[in-house]
Amino acid sequence: MTWSRREVLGTLGLASAHGLWLAAGCGPHAAPLTPKPASAGEIRAWLHDAVERLTGAGMQDARALAVVRDRAVAGIDVLGAGVTRTHAAGAILTGLRRDGIRIERVTSELTADGIAAAARALAGDARPTAIAGSSHQQLTAIARDPAELTNADLLAEAAEIEALEPARSSRIVYAAAAVEVDDANVWAVASGFDRAQRLVRYRRSAVRVAWSGTRPVIGEVHRAWRGELVDQKLTADELASATHAALGLVTPTAFDGGVYPILLEPSVAAIIVDAAARGLLTAQASVRPEVKRRLAVGARVAAPLISVTDDPTVAGAYGGYGFDDEGELAAPLVLVDHGHVVGVLADRAAVASGHAATAGRGRRRDHLGPVVAGPSHVRIATGVGDRATMLDDGFVLEGGVAASIDPSSDRLIVAVARGRERRAGRDTGRVFADLELVGSLSDLLSSITGVSQQHELIGRRDDGDAPLPWRSMDAPWLAGRGELRARRRLG
Amino acid sequence: MIDRGELLRVLADRAPADWVMFERSIERGRFAAAKATARSERMRRIELVVYVDGDRGRGSARVVGDGDRDDAGELVAQAIELARASAGPAWASAPASAPARVTLEDETLRGYELGDAARALLAAIPSRAGVTIAPELELARESVDVIARTGLTASWVATLCELDALIVAHDRSVTVQRRARTLRGLEIDGVVAEAARDLELIARARTPAAGPCALVLRGDAMVHGGLGVWAAFAAQADAVVERQGLSRYREGHAIARRGEQSAEHILEPLAMWSDGALPFGTLSSPLGDEGEAVRKFALVERGAAAGLGLAPREAALRRREPNGGVRNLVVASGSWSGTADAARTIDVRRVRELHIDRYTGEATLEIALALEQPGDHPITGGTLRLDLIDALAFARRSPTRMRTGAYEGPSDILIDRAELV
Repeated sequence: MTWSRREVLGTLGLASAHGLWLAAGCGPHAAPLTPKPASAGEIRAWLHDAVERLTGAGMQDARALAVVRDRAVAGIDVLGAGVTRTHAAGAILTGLRRDGIRIERVTSELTADGIAAAARALAGDARPTAIAGSSHQQLTAIARDPAELTNADLLAEAAEIEALEPARSSRIVYAAAAVEVDDANVWAVASGFDRAQRLVRYRRSAVRVAWSGTRPVIGEVHRAWRGELVDQKLTADELASATHAALGLVTPTAFDGGVYPILLEPSVAAIIVDAAARGLLTAQASVRPEVKRRLAVGARVAAPLISVTDDPTVAGAYGGYGFDDEGELAAPLVLVDHGHVVGVLADRAAVASGHAATAGRGRRRDHLGPVVAGPSHVRIATGVGDRATMLDDGFVLEGGVAASIDPSSDRLIVAVARGRERRAGRDTGRVFADLELVGSLSDLLSSITGVSQQHELIGRRDDGDAPLPWRSMDAPWLAGRGELRARRRLG
Repeated sequence: MIDRGELLRVLADRAPADWVMFERSIERGRFAAAKATARSERMRRIELVVYVDGDRGRGSARVVGDGDRDDAGELVAQAIELARASAGPAWASAPASAPARVTLEDETLRGYELGDAARALLAAIPSRAGVTIAPELELARESVDVIARTGLTASWVATLCELDALIVAHDRSVTVQRRARTLRGLEIDGVVAEAARDLELIARARTPAAGPCALVLRGDAMVHGGLGVWAAFAAQADAVVERQGLSRYREGHAIARRGEQSAEHILEPLAMWSDGALPFGTLSSPLGDEGEAVRKFALVERGAAAGLGLAPREAALRRREPNGGVRNLVVASGSWSGTADAARTIDVRRVRELHIDRYTGEATLEIALALEQPGDHPITGGTLRLDLIDALAFARRSPTRMRTGAYEGPSDILIDRAELV
């Protein structure tokens, strides 16, 4: 892979337009400056009032959701250190009008007046109608409030990662470590429920870059989870593996493309299943005729060894949650059972229109954007194989970079960082950088002949306008066959 | 919500080395036909960019005052603290320059509730036998006020229209996305009609054979995703990447060479500009993200690299004027007649995916629909592999022009060397 420092830091979450070029010194370490939000009780009361007003205007299924989000990233790289912090808040009110149109109103004014104004915009001066009461459900609790983490605390955590590797090869031209904290308080109120959750997501990561010929080679390691900062730490072995990946010598001959036996490392298996879940196994994808033909419930799409479940309730899962952005309680959903499609990810609109049986996957960008159905924490069932012995001859594909699937044709393209050649069960020492796995997704998944008992957790955070910024996957090694080719010309 | 006057008073008291404040009021309306959902948004946001000078150099930070923040002092203190924590090499801000004069507002949207307008526009799409459309349309109006320490003040209104539609016909489907500053720029009816025609071709398309070919890129296929293949030059002109020595782009030098032939010495050498003041360009703006004036500048002149996109910091370190970075691309026309005489030509009508290596300009383009010549056989699938810097430097360009989103230039181009894999 060829990355700039900007992109490297972007991956680490530091690439703001301004706080990027970090240099010597960390500055004073004052406490974080967080806003003084209204109390949770006040916010819930405002949402309750808004739902009553919408209901009074004759709207069915009125709901209100509010969010207060804080994000902090501390990073250390070869030139220095820095911290970025962002804060956002807002609320969304929704209801079903008599004409069958669902209306939504979003405001960034998370105040009594702001929410009341949003409710008036939808309901006019309608008199509030009492809604069914419910006891308050606080679905997640944390021991240490991340708001207490000062800039110095976060920088110390990043420095702790770098300290795992006190002596670094002179061939490493760029090194960075980062700690990210995403803290979201979300409240959802409707007739019959009053829910709150605090989603605190942490990510520790490190990257190493070395030159191989004319191209930089990246080694990266990360851990991403939900819960407490102290729950997970990177280890010296993990950091060493990132360094090793960056320093690994790449075979300087052209890759001979073709169909090979392959062993997919968990990061590769994870991005394939993640892309399939987002692009094919959703209610919105299932309206496409090509998807309907290939992936109807009951259709066989993979080898019997493959079972896939989306489960936002897994404790500590980076992509997990207690309720989705429509207020629906989280529950596991089997998507593929022994190679057969058995479920699709859906929001409430898809259930109402008969495109899916179960909601609970309605996700909104930043909790307030338009609803999109998508995966949360996708788990591929483990098997009985041993990763060390699952491939005799072929290529072990390592470092999943990106996967795309064309819903209309089933065509799959997976970019991987490396392909490591294996002959007679042993590494030959030949490693080809920047390969692509191409072909049909269903052919690839149907070719799977082995699933390992070992598995790894992978967390992904997409920046920008991504509707599903936090997702996680739990994936084993998968053995099968696939077409490989070089991603670029040699040189 | 933070009061602007209070914020300016606090900034005057704390006196950081430099600062720029953006106040944005955003109104959005969206209608999703398949979900029968109407959505409206009202957002107000204050963004503050602060520069702090110290012993270790200059640091900067951007902080946002959102809906539940009301303490201007706290916002400024946070910005200054974060800027101090990210000090880098010293540099000085350039004197304020006049904002670019550019029209960004579709005045036909004035006075309308945007969600209602979106719904009405989608309802007006003519129905077609055998064609199902599931469109979503979002209309946005943003009012921006800018105040800087230098005394610069500016205000503007910008509109943005975004169409996202799933179109089904002949038991096949395609998705289309369009972005424009004006409703007219979306060309909704044309987009739908073209997609319906293409679906008929896709239904009988075959998979192409691998091998060398000439390549024709037309209209939306050329600017897939916004700038399309021309985005290779935007990446090459990134001053930060150029400083790292990671781009092929070297100012003043030919952008490509084939043996003895330089891209400067062909009949119609490439010329292109970044124009952030293009009327209704989706990347147009009077001012850049840090309050710098946006300027038109040449990226390529007569086949040679000519300029870089410069944010204030990068401009100061190079002792130049900032220009707001690379924005809309304007490409010079050529005289290509539209005919190709290669043994095999792939005429691409619809692109599924385009990936460009921002450093090398190497690209892979996934074909959703193309016509293979001779014979005009529809094909789908297959990957075209290109060295875009070389390919576009030597491409033939049509005299007919098109304007869409962030691109203005030839409507068709012919690339003589491509590889279908």
